[in-house]
Amino acid sequence: MSWWPFIANQWAWLFLLLVPLVIFYFLKLKRPRLDIPSLALWRSVLNDQRVNSPFQRFKRNILLLLQILLLVCLVLAAMQPFVPSGADRANYLPILIDTSASMAAVDGEGRSRLDEAKLEVRKLIDNLLPDQRLCLISVSSSARQLTDFTDNQRVLRDALDRLEVSQVASRLEDALRMTQALARTVPIETAVLYSDGNVPAEIDFELPFQLNYQQLPPAGKNIGITALNARRSDTRWDVFVRVEGTKAAPGVDEPPTSAGVALLQNGKELANEMISLAAGQSQRIVFPVETAGAGMLEVRLKPEGFDALASDNIAYLDLPVGRPLAVFCPVELESYRHALRGNKDVLLYPSGEGESKAASYDLVITDRKVDADLEAATFLFVGIVPDDLAKLVHMEEALAQVIDWQRSTPLLQHVLLTDLQIADRPVSAEGVRDRDYEDLGYEILAQGRTGPLVLRKESAGRTALYILFHTDRSTLPYRVGFPILVSNAVQIAMQQAGLSEIRGQQTGVLPPRNLKPETVYQVQAPDGSVSEAPSATDGTLSGVAAPAIGRYTIREGSTSVASIGVSLLTVSETSLATVEQLQFRELSVGVAGTMLKSDHPLWGAFAAVGFVLLLVEWWYFQRRPVRAQRST
Amino acid sequence: MELTATQAQFTTLLDNDVLARLEKMRLMPRRRLTNRSRGEHHAAKGGTSTEFADYRDYVAGDDVRYVDWNIFARLERPYVKLYRHEEEMHVVSIVDASSSMQFDGKFEKARQLAAAFGLMGLMNVERVSTFVCNHAGREPLFMPPCTGRVSRRRLFDFLEKIEGGGDFPIDQAVEAALRRHRGRGIVVLLSDFLTFGDLERPLNMLFSAGLEVFAVQILAPSEIDPEVTGDIRLVDCESGHTVDVSSAGDLLGIYQEHRLALEEELGILCRQRSGRFLSISSRDPLDWVLFDLLRRKGWAR
Repeated sequence: MSWWPFIANQWAWLFLLLVPLVIFYFLKLKRPRLDIPSLALWRSVLNDQRVNSPFQRFKRNILLLLQILLLVCLVLAAMQPFVPSGADRANYLPILIDTSASMAAVDGEGRSRLDEAKLEVRKLIDNLLPDQRLCLISVSSSARQLTDFTDNQRVLRDALDRLEVSQVASRLEDALRMTQALARTVPIETAVLYSDGNVPAEIDFELPFQLNYQQLPPAGKNIGITALNARRSDTRWDVFVRVEGTKAAPGVDEPPTSAGVALLQNGKELANEMISLAAGQSQRIVFPVETAGAGMLEVRLKPEGFDALASDNIAYLDLPVGRPLAVFCPVELESYRHALRGNKDVLLYPSGEGESKAASYDLVITDRKVDADLEAATFLFVGIVPDDLAKLVHMEEALAQVIDWQRSTPLLQHVLLTDLQIADRPVSAEGVRDRDYEDLGYEILAQGRTGPLVLRKESAGRTALYILFHTDRSTLPYRVGFPILVSNAVQIAMQQAGLSEIRGQQTGVLPPRNLKPETVYQVQAPDGSVSEAPSATDGTLSGVAAPAIGRYTIREGSTSVASIGVSLLTVSETSLATVEQLQFRELSVGVAGTMLKSDHPLWGAFAAVGFVLLLVEWWYFQRRPVRAQRST
Repeated sequence: MELTATQAQFTTLLDNDVLARLEKMRLMPRRRLTNRSRGEHHAAKGGTSTEFADYRDYVAGDDVRYVDWNIFARLERPYVKLYRHEEEMHVVSIVDASSSMQFDGKFEKARQLAAAFGLMGLMNVERVSTFVCNHAGREPLFMPPCTGRVSRRRLFDFLEKIEGGGDFPIDQAVEAALRRHRGRGIVVLLSDFLTFGDLERPLNMLFSAGLEVFAVQILAPSEIDPEVTGDIRLVDCESGHTVDVSSAGDLLGIYQEHRLALEEELGILCRQRSGRFLSISSRDPLDWVLFDLLRRKGWAR
């Protein structure tokens, strides 16, 4: 343990150079010769007690002293001392930088939170010691490793300069898992997170290392659009816009913020409304839009006064073409067809007017396995056990009762299943638990005594609802809730088809689209960049990243296939709410009391002092030429 | 024209006008150290010159020719008149011609002063001799005693021809000169007195030899106010010995103290032996030294 921390202690042997320095100084000292008449006076001067005093001895060899100091400074610079920050030093330090949308929020000086984070990280990079390696990781809805663990300050600075805000919400799990993965290759004891605090408070992750949570100073007040959706009402759409603002700081009475909300359709303004929003409150505005065809809506918020975040002031909504719901239901299921006929927005197949089938359906209600091949977004299978559940459950001819059901699930909302008599009894195989169904992607909506009664499975833009027992062999069709059940299925299908209610798309990933199978599409981002995305074998185009706010255009060659507008629409990001405590599975991490201080290297200071000593020595040696009258 | 002017000079050491003024000057020794030979200096004892000195009571055996009869007539008591005895005084110059005097016109100044003191002696009918000391171990160059105005040429020729250089210390030079010198009077020491030897002994010898010391220390400006700094190696021009001095500029204060202390010590040594001491710079104008400084100090009139 040394009294002063050095990085390169091995260079201490350079102090041995002091010995040859002193030797060579006295051996090789080049003194200018000066002939004088007699040394008598100078001898007596040098014999004077004052000349030989310690101070005068020091002055006599001041050049040697300067050279020793110069060498000491250079050796110390080579040993690379540093001022310890007081914190434990980490040789490998991952830096997690929040780049979510809220990091673009600016303060009164116009500096964004990301700029603040960059300033802090740049200090770390500037004070990087040679044995330290930093790794920059961008954290938004996903994680992105910007650099490997490196001590190359140029690489780190370049990566930091390229860092930009992603218009998505924060999600820390990916970044922490990435750090965990990095910890398998290098020893990581601590990771540093720079964030504005606008992150989820609960994180499903077990921290294998310490997390230093550095919260940046808060930004100013903000107002933004947090929700945009539309609901079909007969021949028109009701567009709902929710605008929220940040909460005022405790003890601060902030005046309400005024803003104008404009609704535009295909670039043309349809409506405009002024709102006044108190701090921390929200307001919903409804705009009726009379249209039967498709339309691209755009809502713009124009705050009056300071607004920290600009990205949440715009939102997009794509209205679909209005049409009736295409439902296929075999004639054998008369009870369902009867219930469907009461809904005027439903086009029932096969109809009694000769139309036996359509190219695609929005909803298929069937008790035949063969109808599973029909092209539809929503299926309601009655009395059918899926093939992948054949090993888990089988049907027995016995009475069954509903033990419990999810009353809030869309299919069973307002449907009372109490005392329902069922002649078919689903029986789970021995040892099969609910977890086994969930592992296969099924969600149990209604549970019988011996096994599940109603299941739901979501896959690739397709919703499949399974009623394992046949309703004709139960009292369900005679219950008041049966038409409600059918109506719920229709509502699910309408939502799935986007016919009844649509929501504005959030940034992150574009919603899946059913397009041509195995076709490569070009996706043009709002900034004009184009990327390619292939569709799957079933024609589903999914997983297209949409980190920026604006319209994404999907093209097949030069033909535009779809245009999807995405916007932030996140309450947490707009509210700029901060989390003081991150709750992990087993522990919680609070905000660090002070900003992270890095070890301050001193080699530069020692090198500068050495340079100054060199100049002083040069000046001292050359300050005045020796002048004396020579003999003639 | 310049050649004509040069040829008109009586000597290269002194200008003609300086010579003219010097011929009217006379050395002023404190002690009356004269030789028995008759000269123009009054001896301390009574003599037979025409210049009255004092009266004393007549005693039996005195020559009655010296009784002042006028006094006897008035006082009726015989008194004998005493007259000064004018004897010859020896003026010897010892010129330090060692290498240390070869700096900054010191030797030139020493030759000029030697010529000036010698001329004053000659013009006052004193016996003038000169020793020039340069190389240690050798006999000093010697100009035998001469007197009278006619010896001027001889004196100047001797001083003009001598060459400097050598390692003769002034203390040893005095002793070597005294081995040849005979006679009482004045000794003019022209040197920088920068020697490692003891000056007390030669001064005592001069005092014992009946010579009143007129010591003139001639220093170069670089010795009075040296401009040195930094780390230097000083080389003694006579011995070749060296001394390394660091931060020489910081030692100048101490150097001045030691230089002044040496002057003070030399002055005390001379005064204790009824001598005189003077320190001048080789750059001091000769006129000022001869006609101002020497007169103010009472060395000559």
